[in-house]
Amino acid sequence: MNYIIEKKQLEKVLKAWSADYEVYAPQKAKQFSAFLPLGSSDLALDEPHNTRYPPKSLFLPQTEVLLRYNSRLNRLEDVEFNPKQRILFGIHPCDAQAAALLDTVFDTDEDNDPYWSNRRRGTLLIGLGCAEPPQTCFCTTVGGGPFNAKGLDALMTELEDAYFVEVFSEEAEKLFADLPKATKEQQNLVQKVQKSAVAKMAPAFETEGLKQKLDDNFDSEFWAEISESCLGCGVCTFLCPTCFCFDIVDEVQRSERVRNWDTCMFRTYSLEASGHNPRPSRKERTRQRLMHKYSYWLDHVNEIGCTGCGRCVRYCPVGLDIRAMLRAANALEMEPANA
Amino acid sequence: MPEHHHHHNPYDPIPMHILRAYYESTDRSLKTFELSFDKQADSEAFFKAYNPGQFCQLSIFGKGEAPFGIASAAWEGEFVRFTVQKVGSFTEYIHTLKAGDAIGMRGPLGNGFPLEDWKGKKLVIIGGGCAFSTLYALTKHVQHPQNRPDYDQLVVIYGARSSGLCMYKHDIQSWYQNVDFEIHQAIDVPEEGWLHHVGYVPDVVREVAPSPDNAVAIVCGPPIMTKYTLPVLEELDFAPETIFTSLEKRMKCGIGKCGRCNIGSKYICKDGPVFSLAELQELPDDI
Repeated sequence: MNYIIEKKQLEKVLKAWSADYEVYAPQKAKQFSAFLPLGSSDLALDEPHNTRYPPKSLFLPQTEVLLRYNSRLNRLEDVEFNPKQRILFGIHPCDAQAAALLDTVFDTDEDNDPYWSNRRRGTLLIGLGCAEPPQTCFCTTVGGGPFNAKGLDALMTELEDAYFVEVFSEEAEKLFADLPKATKEQQNLVQKVQKSAVAKMAPAFETEGLKQKLDDNFDSEFWAEISESCLGCGVCTFLCPTCFCFDIVDEVQRSERVRNWDTCMFRTYSLEASGHNPRPSRKERTRQRLMHKYSYWLDHVNEIGCTGCGRCVRYCPVGLDIRAMLRAANALEMEPANA
Repeated sequence: MPEHHHHHNPYDPIPMHILRAYYESTDRSLKTFELSFDKQADSEAFFKAYNPGQFCQLSIFGKGEAPFGIASAAWEGEFVRFTVQKVGSFTEYIHTLKAGDAIGMRGPLGNGFPLEDWKGKKLVIIGGGCAFSTLYALTKHVQHPQNRPDYDQLVVIYGARSSGLCMYKHDIQSWYQNVDFEIHQAIDVPEEGWLHHVGYVPDVVREVAPSPDNAVAIVCGPPIMTKYTLPVLEELDFAPETIFTSLEKRMKCGIGKCGRCNIGSKYICKDGPVFSLAELQELPDDI
């Protein structure tokens, strides 16, 4: 069923949901917009680009307590798992797709990660499609789209003074049941908006055969060339909605075992106690980042582990562009394996 | 309404206590700990899942966690054995623990040895240094009268830098009485009174020259030993599918989530730590 939220009604609708849910939406923070609890600041739904911090942090916080213990080093009671159900309102399709990808890592039958799963399963994703995708975006190249429904409970398309809502899940249906239904006319208009958004996005690089190219060129000098100007700051991975690597450390003063985001772009990430480092330079570390997304993810779930959100392109301090790197990879000559 | 799933938490260490702790080497760099379970249910769950070749995270609140290979076979009793080499602050702390002290453990983790596939075959077990611990567990497992008929001949080649660093001494000494398997021990340099081989493990393997017929070889040791032993096995005509080794990486979660031990499409902690040489040859050179 398709519904309409008039823009002038939006605040009221979100407030009503807040009675039963914790509602998160992109809002203007001091320096940049972010997914914050409703009422933190002004809504930033009109920003065409993604929030700088990916909403993955609502499922896999940058730092998170796993266990608490007492001074006698005994384990204490379970850490509370966000008991209230949440709504992520205005998540872009690339970020929803990223959450669905990360489910394959965390929400598994065997060794299920309860911290991720309890938050994720208790969260509705109300997406907002992208009518004007910024030039850093390339979702259509990697199998997504500015109005893709994957991972979403509902998808909104912005019209002049309303949001047109397509609802996909029963749980989300309950949220919209009291709202006006969309008209046939509005539906036709939405189709145009969605089509035209897709048409605006030219393919950024060729994905056909790309994995093979990368696999075959594992030992190529190409990796040194493309990583030459990399500073190793790790922003491309910290802001990436599909990067999930973490470290586990004990915070002794707080008597907590915590996990923190970590990144393969740091030297210490792969440094072993013996002093051996399998990824001693930025060349190997850049290779790991790209290979993980464009080769290893495909081995695991037959999907590219990049959703084209463009954050790594937008926020790289030296202007490195993963699209240019992959175009350069495509231009490589095929090398015989193990050359 | 929200469905809250209270699954077993894989980050939660199993409460254990130390049953026995004793030095394994004369220089006191190696210490063996045998841990027992505080709760019977944990013990049952552990032994239901345990397969030799697996590892555990030993866990101490305020100090952290580190992975160690399991050095005991299930039939030895309701305890789990680890031999810990003192190399850093964490292992130094573990060395201070004594019988009765509490410790956390997560596991068993990883795949372990493919024992089903090895049934009916000759096992050539090659170990060096403290990495021999999981091979000790394997040998103990196979030795049990109930398991022994499942395997053909057993050849154990075990090297240490010196006689003082040889682990599980008394038990291994008794293996020489066994008619149904060969044991070859080696130390790097000659010592007075040493009656066995002298030399590096790859050279001892060449000297012993086990036949590859209906055999698998399992190699665990420091990277340099493994690196030079694999070509010797290939010289002896062991096919890559019949050579197995165990990889050690900086594993944190141990369950394929934290990403740290990723090599190519594998997570060493979850897909390994045991791999055949054929599998390793498929992986990128990122080890």
